[in-house]
Parts: sequence; structure tokens; C-alpha cells
Amino acid sequence: MTETPHIASSFDREIEALLARLVLMSGLVETALTDSAAALESLDTAAATRIVDQDAAIDSLDEQINFEAAGIIARRGPTARDLRLILAVMRASAALERVGDLAKNVAKRTLPLSQIRQVEGATGTIRRMARLVAVMLEEAMRALVRKDAALAADVRGRDVDIDQIYNTLFRSLLTHMLENQANITPAMHLHFIAKNIERAGDHATSIAEQAIYLATGDLPDDERPKADSTLQAANPRT
Amino acid sequence: MNAMQTPVIDTATLQPRITAQDVQVYYGSNHALRDVSVDILDRTTTAFIGPSGCGKSTFLRCLNRMNDTVATARVEGRITLDGQDIYDKRVDPVQLRARVGMVFQKPNPFPKSIYDNVAYGPRIHGLTRSRAELDEVVEKSLRRAALWDEVKDRLSAPGTGLSGGQQQRLCIARAVATGPEVLLMDEPCSALDPIATAQVEALIDELREQFSVVIVTHSMQQAARVSQKTAFFHLGNLVEYGDTTQIFTNPGDPRTESYITGRIG
Repeated sequence: MTETPHIASSFDREIEALLARLVLMSGLVETALTDSAAALESLDTAAATRIVDQDAAIDSLDEQINFEAAGIIARRGPTARDLRLILAVMRASAALERVGDLAKNVAKRTLPLSQIRQVEGATGTIRRMARLVAVMLEEAMRALVRKDAALAADVRGRDVDIDQIYNTLFRSLLTHMLENQANITPAMHLHFIAKNIERAGDHATSIAEQAIYLATGDLPDDERPKADSTLQAANPRT
Repeated sequence: MNAMQTPVIDTATLQPRITAQDVQVYYGSNHALRDVSVDILDRTTTAFIGPSGCGKSTFLRCLNRMNDTVATARVEGRITLDGQDIYDKRVDPVQLRARVGMVFQKPNPFPKSIYDNVAYGPRIHGLTRSRAELDEVVEKSLRRAALWDEVKDRLSAPGTGLSGGQQQRLCIARAVATGPEVLLMDEPCSALDPIATAQVEALIDELREQFSVVIVTHSMQQAARVSQKTAFFHLGNLVEYGDTTQIFTNPGDPRTESYITGRIG
């Protein structure tokens, strides 16, 4: 760490241990997200089951992070950037835990999907979307650890891309359902999956916002860029 | 009132009680305090923080001319209380100290009864005309200091026989008995246990509703809890003055940040 150390060096060690745990957690979450999308594309039910089982490890890290953060607050009474760091870590941990749950849900839906008819093209798009979100997560975490507000702002701006992919997929799934009723069940599952990944993108963005808060002391006050146009889409043919 | 709860006060609407402009303090040839300019707002608790020897107590003692008692001390610049220059030759420091009261680090009750400790100020300043009026001031001051219920049946007992926390509240009662406009507190809780500290902090918050309180403290947590404004002193300079919440969550100066987060800086 290049920052001036605390007079109590054990404080620095506690903060480093907390950050290390968060980085470990984000690695597991990124893997769960990309692996769940890959398992969906290849309809690999064994891999999907593994992802569902591994979510417990992510939840447990979230619990440990909250426990340690509470301990630091109680022992150290952190102020200024130390306080912002603890708050940012707790919020980031909560966001990562949610992404873990979303990836688990993607994996769970792979199991019924493997039993029924397929909807063409969707899973490839979902895998690309998941990969983009995983990169956003990784870079939001890097921005948080390095207190890099510029990188965080860049990540935050990329949520629009995820929204646009989701919009396109939404319309395509709607078209499939209108064309053939037999597509409704798989398309509904795929839509929930796409929505999960779009939500994971929102969580990556919120981690980026925490990185901005940590680095600057302020949350960005401008409205975050949004491109979800599905609210207007009543019927893709109209 | 819960002392742990920071009251929401819009300090932007409050008037300055004390205004300091370009204050310099020298102890002999040592330039102990440099170019300090700050407003102490009415009905606000202002915390002075900083490492030992930073000048915060020196500045506090300028505000009621306690530095007059130090032979080598010389104060320059201008300090006004309600617009009046307190270093003007026509100002009697004793009268000034009735308007700007002070509570010290170590409780220092006079070796007199509880009653006489509180009655001392009103008596020497001739603030009351009858014994009944004095009784009233003593009771009111002890109530304000949240000590009345504990001592009302033994007002003639010596003040020095009270517990540390009670003695400090007695000193606060003594300070508020003269009806001051500003109360200066120099580390008022450093000799107290956490319970007495919480009581004094709750008291500070109540007193703040009537006048200005200025507190010097080495406890960051205490400054964050009790004050609405914080001033950080370092090496004889006033480095940063601002809203307490801002100072403790997002200070503007890297020296403030280093100090309050416990870093070498």
C-alpha cells in the first residue's frame, strides 16, 4: 500500500485483510457469473449444479466481511477515508453477494431449460453479456482497491451497453414467444436469466459508485446513464 | 436527550458570537499561534482538535484572556465578543470571564461547600440582590449541570467530597451560574469515566441550546459526537475549520485527514 501507514500498524493489517477477503469474494462471484452463462450455453447441468452449491462460499465470505468490518468500527472508530473504506467494502460485499445469488439463479434455470426445446441465439448473447458484466465487476473492484475514480467512472458508463444488449434480447425473446407458444416456457426462463445478468451489471455499477465515494468523498450526483427501453415495449411488432 | 445523537442544526443561519481575526500568540520568542481567524457561532458546539502543542488550548485561553495570567504570553490580532474587542483596555478581564466561562481538564472545585462553589461567581459579580435570589441561581445552575437531584440534600457538604464526574458537573454549574454567553471547556472529560463522560456530553448538548460551547478534546469520537463545527490545529496554525460531519467523513486538508485517521503525517 502506497498510502501513509497508520501509527497503529495493526489497523493497516486489519484493513488489508478485509480488502483481501473482498477481492477473493469478487473473484468467486465473477467466475460464478461467467461459468453459469457458459453452463447455460452448453446445457451442462453438472456444472450448473456445482455453481448452485458454490454460492454458500460466497455467502460465507459476505458474512465474514460484515463481521470483520463491524469489529473494525467497534475497535478503531474509523474516520475520513478509513470510514469511507469500511462503508464502501460493506456495500460492495452486499452487492457481490447479490450477484452471487443472481448467478446461482441462472444456474438453477439451466436445469429445467436442458429438458425443453431451445430458443435459438439467446444463450450466446447471454454469455457475452455475462462476460461484459464480469469485466465490469473486476474493474469496479480494481477501482475500489486502488481508489481510482476515473476507472470507476468509466465502468459506470458501461452499464448502458449491458442495458442495450438486454433490450435487444428482450425484443427477440418476445418475438419468439409471439411466433410459437411452445417457446414461452424457455423464453420466460431465458428472460429471467437475461434480467439477472442485467441486474448484476447494476450491482457492478453500484460498486463503481462506491469506489468513486471512497476516492472523492462524494457519490456521483448525476443521474446514472440508463438505457432500459423495455418499459415502452408493449409489442415488438407495433 | 441522547448524547450519541448529533442534533441536526443548520449552522448557516447562526450568528457569530466570537470573531477572531489574525490572532498571533507568542510565549517569549516562541510564536505559538499564527494567523488564526475563525468565527465561534452562537448556540453551537465548536470542537478544537489537534496534537499536543498545536495551539488549540492556547487559542481557547485567548477567548477569555486566560493568557493574561501567563507573564511571557503576548496576544496580537483582534478577538471580539458580540462585536466588542475583548482586548480593549476598557474591558475588565474578570467581567469578561463571567461572560466567557471556563471548565478545566481536572475538576477543580473550591474547598468550599457545594452551595458556595456555585454561589461564588454570582456573589463576586454582584448578580443577585437577596439570599432567595441566590438560592434560585444556585438551584437553576445545578439543574442545568444535571447535578441538582444528586446534591440537593447536601448543599453544605464540601464540593471536594463529590465523585470526579460530579465535581466536573459542579464546575460546570459554577461556570454557568454567572450566565455566560460562551462556555470554554479544556478537555473536560479526560479525567472522567465513560458514564460521567456521557453525562457531561449530554449536558454540553443541552447547554449548547442556550449559548456557545467551545471544547478542546483529544478524543476524536467525542469531537465527532458533541460538536457541530470542528477546528483542526497543527503546529500553531488553524489548518481547517468546517462542519463536523464533513471534517470526519471527508476532510479537505491532507493534514486533517492524517491526524484524524491516526496516520503519521
